[in-house]
Amino acid sequence: MPFDLGSLPMAQIYEGAQYLDTGWFSRVFTLVLVAFVLLNIKRAKSGKDLYIRRIAGLNAIDEAVGRATEMGRPVLMVPGLSGMNAIVVQALNIFVYVTRLCARFANPILVCCADAAVYTVAQEMIRDTYQQEGAIERYDTDSVRFISDRQFAFAAGVSGLIQREQAAATFFMGAFYAESLIFAETANSTGAIQIASSTETTQTPFFIAACDYVLIGDEFYAASAYLTRQPILVGSLVGQDWSKILIAATALAGALNVTAIVGPFTGAQATFEKTAGVIAPVKAPRAVAPSDAFMQHLLQGQGGAMISKTLTKPQRPKDPDYHPVGGGS
Amino acid sequence: MATPDSSIGAKLQSLPRTLLYLILLLATSLPLIYGELAGGVSVPNQPLGAAVDFYAALMKIPPGKTVLLETDWTNSTRGENGGEFDAILRILMARGIKFAVFSTADPQAPQVAMDDIATINALRVQKGQKAYVRWTDWVNLGYFPNSEGTLNALAGNLATAFNGKKDVKPGGGLVDVFESPVLKGYTKLTDIPAVILVTASATSTVMIERLSGKVPLDFMVTGVMGPETQVYYSSKQLEGLVIGLKGVYDLETLMKQGLNGQGPDAVPSQKYAGLDVPPVNDNLGTGKGSAYYPTLHFALALLILAVIVGNVGMLLTRKRTAQ
Amino acid sequence: MDLLAQAGAGLNFWNAPSGSAELIIKIVLALVLSGAFFFGLIAAPANLRRPIVGVFTFLAGLFYVTYWLWPSAIARDPGQAPLNPVEGVAFWLEDALPQVANFSNILTAFLLGLGVYSVARIHVGKLVKRQRDWEFSLVLIASMLLMILFGYWNWFNRHSPTGGLLEDPANWHFQQFASDMLFDGLLQQMDAAMFSMIAFYILSAAYRAFRIRSVEATILLAAALIVMLSLMGAVAYKWGNNSFIQTHPNLSLEAIAGWLSDNVQTPSIRGIDFGVGIGSLAMGLRIWLNLERQEAS
Repeated sequence: MPFDLGSLPMAQIYEGAQYLDTGWFSRVFTLVLVAFVLLNIKRAKSGKDLYIRRIAGLNAIDEAVGRATEMGRPVLMVPGLSGMNAIVVQALNIFVYVTRLCARFANPILVCCADAAVYTVAQEMIRDTYQQEGAIERYDTDSVRFISDRQFAFAAGVSGLIQREQAAATFFMGAFYAESLIFAETANSTGAIQIASSTETTQTPFFIAACDYVLIGDEFYAASAYLTRQPILVGSLVGQDWSKILIAATALAGALNVTAIVGPFTGAQATFEKTAGVIAPVKAPRAVAPSDAFMQHLLQGQGGAMISKTLTKPQRPKDPDYHPVGGGS
Repeated sequence: MATPDSSIGAKLQSLPRTLLYLILLLATSLPLIYGELAGGVSVPNQPLGAAVDFYAALMKIPPGKTVLLETDWTNSTRGENGGEFDAILRILMARGIKFAVFSTADPQAPQVAMDDIATINALRVQKGQKAYVRWTDWVNLGYFPNSEGTLNALAGNLATAFNGKKDVKPGGGLVDVFESPVLKGYTKLTDIPAVILVTASATSTVMIERLSGKVPLDFMVTGVMGPETQVYYSSKQLEGLVIGLKGVYDLETLMKQGLNGQGPDAVPSQKYAGLDVPPVNDNLGTGKGSAYYPTLHFALALLILAVIVGNVGMLLTRKRTAQ
Repeated sequence: MDLLAQAGAGLNFWNAPSGSAELIIKIVLALVLSGAFFFGLIAAPANLRRPIVGVFTFLAGLFYVTYWLWPSAIARDPGQAPLNPVEGVAFWLEDALPQVANFSNILTAFLLGLGVYSVARIHVGKLVKRQRDWEFSLVLIASMLLMILFGYWNWFNRHSPTGGLLEDPANWHFQQFASDMLFDGLLQQMDAAMFSMIAFYILSAAYRAFRIRSVEATILLAAALIVMLSLMGAVAYKWGNNSFIQTHPNLSLEAIAGWLSDNVQTPSIRGIDFGVGIGSLAMGLRIWLNLERQEAS
């Protein structure tokens, strides 16, 4: 059956279909994922024991810091190249754990930042960590540094530090781009033990080639839950797994759906199609295509402005306060 | 400690870094120098589907319209992005499409882009063609420090996103860009026929997040970014995609031959069968893609050779240990 | 309400005619208020700091979440008034977006000052105390000062009424040549040099790490070989230039590489991307709702 938008009361009130078909599915889907995370945080908080698998790269953190302590050489950490965002916060959370170990063993550390906002936050977090460990006298204000916000100036600066300070353990966690291999190969040449992770998929192979341990993809986000076993973090991690299962199921349903309509019934004629966000009878006779599948209709053709061309333009009144851009003083 | 292994296997596995570096230096610079002396080397080529789509998409934009050209690269990736930017400029200029340049990734990027525009313009003038004039044919919107915010604002309203931006009007100092022939009358993103992004940075994902489905997107990325960007091309969120040096060479091949054209080097395309996509006859000579492509061959060959040498060394050592 | 939405050049609560006394009073007042607010925050007792940070984080995030969830008005032309309250909110959110984005831009600019201070403190200290490697610090400080000096000098010239003339290098003065030399002649080239070093590192890393130690590694190596060969147009052409491949086009190097890219590489990257995306969604959620706290050992 065609989906008659005009018969819906909402459409009459709000002049056409624009409020109904502007990508509601992605919103609802995301809200479901959010619900999964929050629900599992609640479960974990109520004392439910949730399981996390072993992650080799995270087990190696203690070993790396231990070796640096034995050699009496610094531990170097880089929270990636990005500005202040969720990725950086996660990287700094891992670095807090590393710093805690270093503070206990009186091991020197170096945190190199490529963004001024990250530098400020990192400085606070590292100092707090020393304070919590009761070792504030071991905190060196120069240990957290802003190097440069230019990518390759930063790469040159950090490589220079790795070489000069002969870092014994290096942690590269966060969003890394072309500089990933420069760091990893330089640290490799000084014999440092390296644990790395890039949220940029394309840089992961470079880290794998040159580092000892690499956290791939969302293992990076699992790190703080794994290291601290805080209920909130563990619960959130389980919620993430539920979300991934849901996404995999949606992809599978889509594949089955398309196979069912195109596969065995090749040659069947399409009756309705969804173009520019609206389902309507086909204009010219044609065979059924993957784009006619229900799952495709659900996921596609809901983009905002693309559909606006085909719908009636709402007749809005003039705004009396309007001054055209550029026409002012 | 064991005594150092001096067998051939061990030696093959531990070639000194400096030796490898020296060989690479020769393998990459000699073809470049040779290509320069020989006036370009022609390599047979079959353009990939993504580049063909990119070319076809650009060729269907009506002359006189304005496209947004986000340029998020600097000299560090000029080997790839420089060739891409040259190619896009040549196509736009040859077809009389106006463009507005801006960057959300790097404060240096607009300057690098303007230098490139000046170079192509000089070449056009040298060949007796009309120069592309700043203000009437193109404008520079400059650098926007917040990629997410800027592109989000752009998705909402073109006029607000670039509100207050000024560019140099010949003889008139700095004037609001919306008074220029390039952007006059453009208010919404849907007025723009395409947004083209030449990038070496993650602004590509930001653009997909913010603008996908709202305006046709055409990307030109570096080789390293190819795999991650390919994902969005195959999900049809991108109209066309040019990846790295091979992509530039593909585009230059298409600019020379057109699609489904005649002649020995014609590029056949099933997808665009029956559609006449002509070549771009701007007569400006070969581009960076043609100049650098032979070098890529030697670099890749060396990489393959190095991996083989390492593995032969490992196998020899294993054989020796087994004995 | 124009609380955030200052779209257009119209005058409203937040601005005043250029050069007027009203504008100056407003600027001074804004400075005083923000100063008071700033010192108020510093003076806040330690136990109140977390809630304050939490509230600000929540409010900042709330704007974007509402913007994303609220039905957006389509086909809006400038100068139109909303049709109904739902659209009213949508218009307001849309107009406020550039101002909200400006907040973070302004903040970033201030923080950059702190970054520069960090660089200067470490390196001037090294220089004064003649610590190890002080020569590098000297180069750094000198480069920074020169770049600032000529960068701004050139910028002021270019933004003067006759700035348009500087488009032509024939009208350049010393500061333009100096700035061009520093930017195009040095910085850009050093950037490119740094980037090109990756080629050397890729070679040495691949040589060292790419060993066929297991079945998986062998498959990986075979796939890499096919992709690399397919990027070499001359090799791909030679491979395909025979009757067997021409009758079996699926065995051409481009076709095999394309198959690997579409059916092996793209799905696995999508899988990883979904994981990373959900990870950052969960992380963002925890930060926004103030659930993220530093671990206590």
